[in-house]
Amino acid sequence: MSDQKKNFRLEEFKHREGIDPDKTWTMLEHAIHEIYNQNISGLSYEVLYRNAYNMVLHKFGDKLYSGLVETMTARLKEIARSLEATQGGSFLEEMNKKWNDHNKALKMIREIMMYMDRIYIPHAGKTPVDQLGLNLWRENVIYSNQISTRLLNALLELVYGERTGEVINRGLFRNITKMLMDLGPSVYGQEFETQFLLVSAEFYQAESQKLIECCACGDFLKIAESRMKQEIDRVSYYLDPMTEKKITNVVEKVMIENNLLILIHMDSGLVSMLCNDKYEDLGRMYKLFRRVANGLFKIYEVMTSHIKESGKQLVMDRDRLKDPVEFVERLLDEKEKYEKIINLAFNKDKFFQNALKSSFEYFINLNPHSPEFISLFVDAMLRQGLKGVSEDDIEITLDKVMMLFRYLQEKDEFESYYKRHLAKRLLYGKTVSDDVERSFIVKLRTECGYQFTSKLEGMFTDMKTSRDTMQGFYTSHPKLRDGPTLTVQVLTAEVWPTQSIVTCNLPAEMSELCEKFQSYYLGMHMGRKLSWQTDMGTADLKATFGKGQKHQLNVSTYQMCVLMLFNNADRLSYKEIEQATKIPSSNLKSCLQSLALVKKRNVLRKEPMSKDVGEDDAFFVNDKFRSKLYKVKIGTVVAQKESEPEKLETRKRVEEDRKPLIEATIVRIMKSRKLLDHNNLVAEVTKQLQSRFLPNPTAVKKHIESLIEREFLERDARDRKMYRYLY
Amino acid sequence: MGVQKDRVKFNVGGRVMETTSTTLANAGRNSMFGAMFDENWNLITNTESERFIDRNPDCFGVLLDLLRTGELHVPPNIPEKLLYREALYYGLLDHVRAAKWGPFDGNRLRLSCSMQGQAPGDGTAIRAGPDGGCCVAHGSMVHVYDWMLEEHPPLNLDYQRVNDVGWVDSDNVVIGVSERLGRGDGGMGLFSSHTGELRYKFHVCHENQVKSYTAGALSFSSDYKIFSSCKGRSNEYGVGVWDQVTGKQIDFFYEPLGWSLGDADKLQWLEGSNCLLVATMFPRKDNCYISLLDFREKRMVWCWSDVGAPFAVDEKRVRDAIAMEDNSSICVVNEFEDLGFMDLRSSAATSIRWSSRSRLMKGKMPEEPCYPKLALHAGQLFSSMNDCISVFCGPEWVLTSRLRRSYGGSICDFSIGGDRLFALHSEENVFDIWETPTPPII
Repeated sequence: MSDQKKNFRLEEFKHREGIDPDKTWTMLEHAIHEIYNQNISGLSYEVLYRNAYNMVLHKFGDKLYSGLVETMTARLKEIARSLEATQGGSFLEEMNKKWNDHNKALKMIREIMMYMDRIYIPHAGKTPVDQLGLNLWRENVIYSNQISTRLLNALLELVYGERTGEVINRGLFRNITKMLMDLGPSVYGQEFETQFLLVSAEFYQAESQKLIECCACGDFLKIAESRMKQEIDRVSYYLDPMTEKKITNVVEKVMIENNLLILIHMDSGLVSMLCNDKYEDLGRMYKLFRRVANGLFKIYEVMTSHIKESGKQLVMDRDRLKDPVEFVERLLDEKEKYEKIINLAFNKDKFFQNALKSSFEYFINLNPHSPEFISLFVDAMLRQGLKGVSEDDIEITLDKVMMLFRYLQEKDEFESYYKRHLAKRLLYGKTVSDDVERSFIVKLRTECGYQFTSKLEGMFTDMKTSRDTMQGFYTSHPKLRDGPTLTVQVLTAEVWPTQSIVTCNLPAEMSELCEKFQSYYLGMHMGRKLSWQTDMGTADLKATFGKGQKHQLNVSTYQMCVLMLFNNADRLSYKEIEQATKIPSSNLKSCLQSLALVKKRNVLRKEPMSKDVGEDDAFFVNDKFRSKLYKVKIGTVVAQKESEPEKLETRKRVEEDRKPLIEATIVRIMKSRKLLDHNNLVAEVTKQLQSRFLPNPTAVKKHIESLIEREFLERDARDRKMYRYLY
Repeated sequence: MGVQKDRVKFNVGGRVMETTSTTLANAGRNSMFGAMFDENWNLITNTESERFIDRNPDCFGVLLDLLRTGELHVPPNIPEKLLYREALYYGLLDHVRAAKWGPFDGNRLRLSCSMQGQAPGDGTAIRAGPDGGCCVAHGSMVHVYDWMLEEHPPLNLDYQRVNDVGWVDSDNVVIGVSERLGRGDGGMGLFSSHTGELRYKFHVCHENQVKSYTAGALSFSSDYKIFSSCKGRSNEYGVGVWDQVTGKQIDFFYEPLGWSLGDADKLQWLEGSNCLLVATMFPRKDNCYISLLDFREKRMVWCWSDVGAPFAVDEKRVRDAIAMEDNSSICVVNEFEDLGFMDLRSSAATSIRWSSRSRLMKGKMPEEPCYPKLALHAGQLFSSMNDCISVFCGPEWVLTSRLRRSYGGSICDFSIGGDRLFALHSEENVFDIWETPTPPII
């Protein structure tokens, strides 16, 4: 046994000295270098892990950690030097390659030092290995002065290249930006983004300057839009998503916001686009301008003033005023044009719909004839508009007219005209479709309420009751069927726009009949009063002319009276006619005019043959009258439009109607408020009456004074501006 | 069967063992095995050659078995501490912890071990940490134990009496302490559970002035808020709220006149109703006050007090209270361990519905009684009384289990967390650790 004894040399016992820290570290240091050199074939992971573990276990964590920092720093400084030395264009590729190498090495180092990461670092409050590797790269490579500027310039050059049409290596760019982002949120911002935004602003500043000088507005916008898209693409390809908002802001600001007014006001700008219906360009302008502060507002301003201006020309154009139908049609066209623009280009934006509304309200009310014309347009539509037009189309047009109606301030004036026009249509039997008539009234009612249309609806009721009454009359007087037929329309006085007029003398046959009807009607309805409106109404007369030509003449009541006189006479002077019929002279003149002076309708002859009817003229039956038609309609020479005095009359009536309304409103408001100052009261009255008309403040003031006089209100004793309601 | 290509041969401390890379993959990326088979290192793969690891082969075998089956079986000849050390070397310590005991179930608890502490009895509180550790407060000291029941450096509060302790996460505990007369300290601090160092001190401001205060009971919400009952020097009583992330005070609910908040024994944050339960009990005050606070509206949404209530001879005084959100009720307990219930749905409860469960305790009271305490965990209600803990289950709260261990005297506090139950005894400084065994194999 003894000779087989092996020669062990026992080392001297050292207390608590498990490992030799210097030796262990040297070995690990060597391994770190080899990892960076990518020469790991000689390394054993298990051995390295155990050694790193031992250092931590034996409380040499400090040494291990500081050694790691030192070694890694040295390697990174070396990398930085070699990067600085790279020539020309391969700088970014080199940087990317070195970064990937560093990351790979870092990962392996962390795997070796895993135990240190888990045990030593949290307790010692140090930075974990992963983060340490990023920090050291940042400090030693990226923040190295030369590399920092070179990196920035290389990146900006690539962006510039791409903006001017070159193809660049986006993948490489993306890797570099990802590196900057990995190094911490501020690194990407400091090293790249801030400068990138500045340079971009300069680039687009120069570009828009150039474009403004040579391009039309539409083309400029097209380019701006594509630039915006390019930048968004760029961000999605290789920049931080957070940059998108910033760079689009730059493009918006430099290209659009700074040139806002120039773009709008240039010759090919907004007004020209509006005039030429450039939906695409307008749409682009809308989309781009909405991105900048005040952008849409500027469009709004210019568009509003343009519509107002062109609308003003439209409504003040003397030529147009001659034909109300054309006038309204022009308005409708104008409205349709802008609605189409708003729908197609402006994304149906409420803001612009309001612009349209306020502009139309402005210019439609510039022309005092607007309410009358709109009513006349409806009248024309309802009289003859149905020819070849389907009811649906009429509905659509009427809906559009309602839009115009909404813009009117003096809605009550429209009502008054409408009432008159409707009365004429009803009495002369000119309405083509009862349904359309009623549907328009329903529209008015939904717009303005029951009050507004109750009288109009009353007119329809009267028409119906009259038909029933006539039937009853003839049933109770069967003998009368052989003589002339009388059709009476009984109109409720306050519902219809009647005027008290002097009744003319009716021919004996007729007046007899009328009396019979009157006694029949008053027998039916006690306490009512009938008065005859001889200025309205029509008559069908059978006439035989000199050579036996037989015709049926459709004439007005006055004309009938005149013609009936010629049953008993061949020649009658003006004076004689006037005396016999008692027709007011102005009506008589126009009546004779239409009987004697209209070509092909001249059933009478006049002496002398002059254009006007004079007081000394004489009239004969025109024996030579001929017409291809059996039925001849003798028109009345009446102006469609209102004459000036008539207009004043309407105006006065409208004003008259307003008085009780204004007073009722004042009283209603004061009753609920009890105490209110003048300005607020006027404002409130205006607000409440707006749906009907725009009251004049002076008028309101006058009514307030009148109410004070009548002791509905009083002025406050202390504050004269305040009104108090009196119970 | 094809040829298995992923075989790996290890030589651990001289013993050759073979496994597959699939088994090793269970160790995860953050372990030594994860790195070992990373492609960077694996350039010299050779299935024939063995990898040498200079470690204990027995422990490696146990850990390899853990990776294979997910179960931990430690032979009696391997000390646990040795196994933990080896697991730490390989980065498998979390695997060991997860396999050591099963998911918590109050009816299947087994006593895992009893720990003998340093301090001589009279513990204030014990609190279970989120990963199986715990801390025990005695007077002005807090002892911290990790899940391996290794004691870490104690937290020394410099003679300030500890009122409550709570775990923010597995690395940090918050401690509320009493202010010492004339010293202007006290309050609440955040401590590292590993090193025991003070990391942050929470302040209370009244009218923009930092005031010293006594921090009482603590509670935490899942949206990173800390609540504490506070007593300030100049009658600033109430409940303070701090942000865990910034450490700043974000709210303060002042104590209304004739009520008690600042002295509260117990705070409980209710996630479902966004309210805080605040309970002050006898003998801290002469009367008992329980209320629910809504901080958003600064309103007491529910309250109950026994002020003015007539006490019978066998008076029933509320000693602890706990809100049970699932049942919309508050459970209270008296000194005879009778459970009582109050409805949370009406804004003020009129009376307690006592369940006349047992009167058996009567006459058997130990000389130095510990007042009952309540805890709620996953639908099971726990109540400690004298030297045992009762477990109640089901809608009727039937007594289903009883945990008892006579050594150490009455249980003065207990806590459930990290799938463990810790019970602190009052007479000797002993605490028990109860665990649920892993589920049976079949």
